[in-house]
Amino acid sequence: MAKKFSVGSMASLIGAAAFLFASIKFPWWGMKFYAPQYMEGLDIIVYPSKLEGDIDIVNGLNHYIGMAPFSNESFPELQYLPGLIIGMAILFIIIALLRRKALLYVPAVLLVAGGAIGIYDMNRWLTKFGTELDPKAPIELEPFVPPIIGENILANFVTHSYFTTGSFLLGAAFLLTLLPFWLERRK
Amino acid sequence: MKKWVPAASGLLAGFMAATVFFADFSTGPKGTASNDTANKSNAEKVYVPYGELDEYYMLSSGGHSGQLFVYGLPSMRKIRTVPVFSPDPATGYGFDTKTKEMLGGYTWGDFHHPAISETNAEYDGKFVFANDVANNRIAAVDLSSFHTADIMEMPNMGGPHAGTFVTQNTEYIVMPTRFSVPIGKEYAPLDEFEDKYKGVVSMVKFDQKKKELDLAYQIMLPPWSYDLSDAGKKVSGDWIVMTTYNTEFATTNNEINASQNDRDYIVLLNWKELEKKVADGEYEEVNGAKMIDPRKHKGSIYAVPVAKSPHGVDVTPDGTRFIASGKLAPLMTVFSFEKAFEAIKAGNFETEKFGIPVLPYDKVVEREVDPPGALGPLHTQFDDKGNAYNTMFISSEIVKWKIATGEILDRTPVHYSPGHSTATEGDTASPDGKWIVSLNKIAKDNFLSVGPSHPESMELIDISGEKMSLTYTAPVDPEPHYAQTIHRDKIKTIKIYEKDEKREHSVWKQEDTRIERKGNEVHVYGIAMRSKFVFDAKAKRPDEIKVNQGDKVTIHLTNIDLDQDITHGFGIMDHDLNYEVQPGQTSTIEFTAEKAGTFPIYCTNFCSALHQEMSGYLLVEPK
Repeated sequence: MAKKFSVGSMASLIGAAAFLFASIKFPWWGMKFYAPQYMEGLDIIVYPSKLEGDIDIVNGLNHYIGMAPFSNESFPELQYLPGLIIGMAILFIIIALLRRKALLYVPAVLLVAGGAIGIYDMNRWLTKFGTELDPKAPIELEPFVPPIIGENILANFVTHSYFTTGSFLLGAAFLLTLLPFWLERRK
Repeated sequence: MKKWVPAASGLLAGFMAATVFFADFSTGPKGTASNDTANKSNAEKVYVPYGELDEYYMLSSGGHSGQLFVYGLPSMRKIRTVPVFSPDPATGYGFDTKTKEMLGGYTWGDFHHPAISETNAEYDGKFVFANDVANNRIAAVDLSSFHTADIMEMPNMGGPHAGTFVTQNTEYIVMPTRFSVPIGKEYAPLDEFEDKYKGVVSMVKFDQKKKELDLAYQIMLPPWSYDLSDAGKKVSGDWIVMTTYNTEFATTNNEINASQNDRDYIVLLNWKELEKKVADGEYEEVNGAKMIDPRKHKGSIYAVPVAKSPHGVDVTPDGTRFIASGKLAPLMTVFSFEKAFEAIKAGNFETEKFGIPVLPYDKVVEREVDPPGALGPLHTQFDDKGNAYNTMFISSEIVKWKIATGEILDRTPVHYSPGHSTATEGDTASPDGKWIVSLNKIAKDNFLSVGPSHPESMELIDISGEKMSLTYTAPVDPEPHYAQTIHRDKIKTIKIYEKDEKREHSVWKQEDTRIERKGNEVHVYGIAMRSKFVFDAKAKRPDEIKVNQGDKVTIHLTNIDLDQDITHGFGIMDHDLNYEVQPGQTSTIEFTAEKAGTFPIYCTNFCSALHQEMSGYLLVEPK
C-alpha cells in the first residue's frame, strides 16, 4: 500500500489551495508614480485578471517618451492566469484528498516553477515597454527597464514597484506546501 | 523792554506755523502697526499654511459684474470667479452653445443676493441661487462643479432685488420685485402708477435632479418697492417677510418723494397657503405665469407698519422673530412672529391697504433697538450666542447686540460704509459665531492706489470673543452686495467629469474622431488631450479642419484627459471664439465660416509641457 501522508499535511495543502483561490481577488503587484505635480501618486495595480489604477493618465503621460499605451488587452496572461490558478488549486485539493506521499512534491515544485516563470514574464514586459520606445517621441530617453521591486527615477517621476496582497497570499500558499515536509519527516 | 519777548513770540509763531502745516489731525485709519502683539496674533489667525485649506467658503455676489466670487475664510484669499450672468472668455462661458443659449444674448447682469440651498434651515451646500436685478433672471449654480446650471427669465417683474432667499427646505426661491411695472411691461403713463403698475413676487421651484428652474407662481402686490426679504424658520417656516419702501407711490425724484411717509410696511406672506390656493386653481394665467391676486384670496397676506424706508429684514436663527433695519430711521425693530400670529388669529387689524390687512404695530413689535449715534442700519447677521450684528452704513460700524434684551454689547468701526455683512453660517438656524465679514462699499485709500477707480473692501472681524476684533482687510472687485459663508465640509465637489460614453456628441478614443459633412453643415467630433487636438483620426492631418466659405461649423470637443486640473482651451484666431473643456467634459461651439482664409487653432489654457505645440488649423476655402 502506498504511503499516505497525515491529516495535518492534508489540511495544509487544502489551506494552500484556499490561499491560491483567494489571491485571484487581490492585486499581486503595483507601481506607484510620484512627481511634484502628482504628490498623491499615480497607480498601476495589477490583478491576475486586470489592470487597475490611473492607467489612462499613465498612458497619456507615457506618450511623451514614446512608450506604447497599455491596457488589459496588451497582456494575454490576464485572460488565462485566473484559470491557471484555479486549476492549480484544484490539483492541490486532489493531491490532499489522495494523501499519497509521492505527490507531496508536486505543489511546491509547481509554485516555484510558476513563480520563476511569472517573474521572468514580468521582466520581459517591463523590458519591452521600457526599451521599445517610439523614436519619434517628443522627449528622447535612454531605453530603461523599470525594476520589479524598488525605486526608480525617470524624468520628473519617482516610481515605486512592489508586490502586494495577492503575492503575499501566494507566498503563504507556498509555505503551506512546504509544511507537510516537516510534518512527514522521519521520526 | 524785555528782550526775550520777541524771541519767544518768534518761537511760538514758528511752532504754530509748523503745527498748521505739518501736524496730522485727520481722523482716518491709523493702523495698528505699532501694536506688534495684536498684529502678530491677527496674522496667525488668518494665515493658512501651505498644505492646509481655509475653513469656510464665502460665496459673494459680484454685483453688476454678473459673477459669483468665491473666497476662502479666514485667509480672505480669492479662489475663483464663477461667471453667472455675464460671458467669461477665460472659461468660454457664453461662448459654447449651451451657456450661450443659457445667457440668452445678455452680456451683463446685476447679481445681488446669493442664497445657498437649505435643508431644515441649514445650508446643505448643493446649489447657490442668484438674482439678476437688471434683467429679471434667476440662476442656479451647481456647487459640485461651481458651474452655472440653469438661468431663467421671469415675466412681469421689475428687477428681483428682494431675492434671492430660499424657504427652509428650498421648496421655493423667492424673488420679489424692486420696481413696479405694468403687467407684461406694457405701455402705461406714470400718472396711472397706482392703478396700472404692480409689484410682483415670483415663487420659483428648482428641480435638483434635472437642474432646472421653473416659475411656480407669481403674487400680485401693490406698486410698492420691495427691498429685501427673508424666509421664516421652524415656527415661522411657512412665512416670508419682505420690506417695502415707496408706499407713497412716488413716480419721480424718489430720493425725496419715496421718503415722505413715517411708516412703510413689512409684508408677511404665507407661502404654504398660497401654494394651496394656486393648486386649487385660484390664479389667472398672465404672460405664462400663474398669477395670484391677494385682494381676491385673503388669509395669506398681511402687512405690519415699520419705521420709514426699511432696508433689510432678517429672521432670527430660532425663527421666532424678524428684525427690520431702519436705513432712514436709526434703529432696528424686533418683531415677534408669535405676536403676529396672535393678532392674525384675533382678526386684530388696524386697517386695510390695497386689500391687505394691516396688523397694529404695537401688537406685533417686541422692541426698538436704537444704539446712540448709530446711523443707517441695513442688515442683520447672527452668532451662536443669541446676538445680532448690524451693519451701519452711515456711521460706518458694526453693532453687536443681544436679541432677547436689545442690550448693546459692542461696536467696531469699519472702513467704510458697509452694506451687507456675512457671518459664518450667519443666517441659518445654527450660526457658527466665528467670523463676520463686513462688505464695505467704499475703500478710499486703504489699498495701493489704482487711480480714481477704487476697489470695494471686505473686512474680516473675529466674533468668537466678547468683543469684536477687526483682523484683516482685503480688496475686492465691484461689487459684492450680499455673501453667504458656508463650512467647507458641506461642499462636495467633483474633481473631474466622469467618463460617460453615452453622452451626446462625446468621443473618447482617438480613432473615433471624425468630421461629418451634411450639405453645408460640418460637424466635428474631436478630442483634446495632452498635447494635441484630434478632429479626424483618419485624415492626413488629424488636427486640421477644412471647410468651405459659408459652411455652418459645429465643433464638439471632449477632453479625454481624465486627470485633475488638466483643462484644455480652444481658441480660433480672428473669429472671436474661445472656450475650454475641463477634464472629461464635452462642449460644443457653432459658427459660420464667413471669412475665407487660414486661421490657426490653439490650446488657450496652459495644459502641459507641449502646450505650445497643441494646435491645428482652420482652413476656409473661398467660394
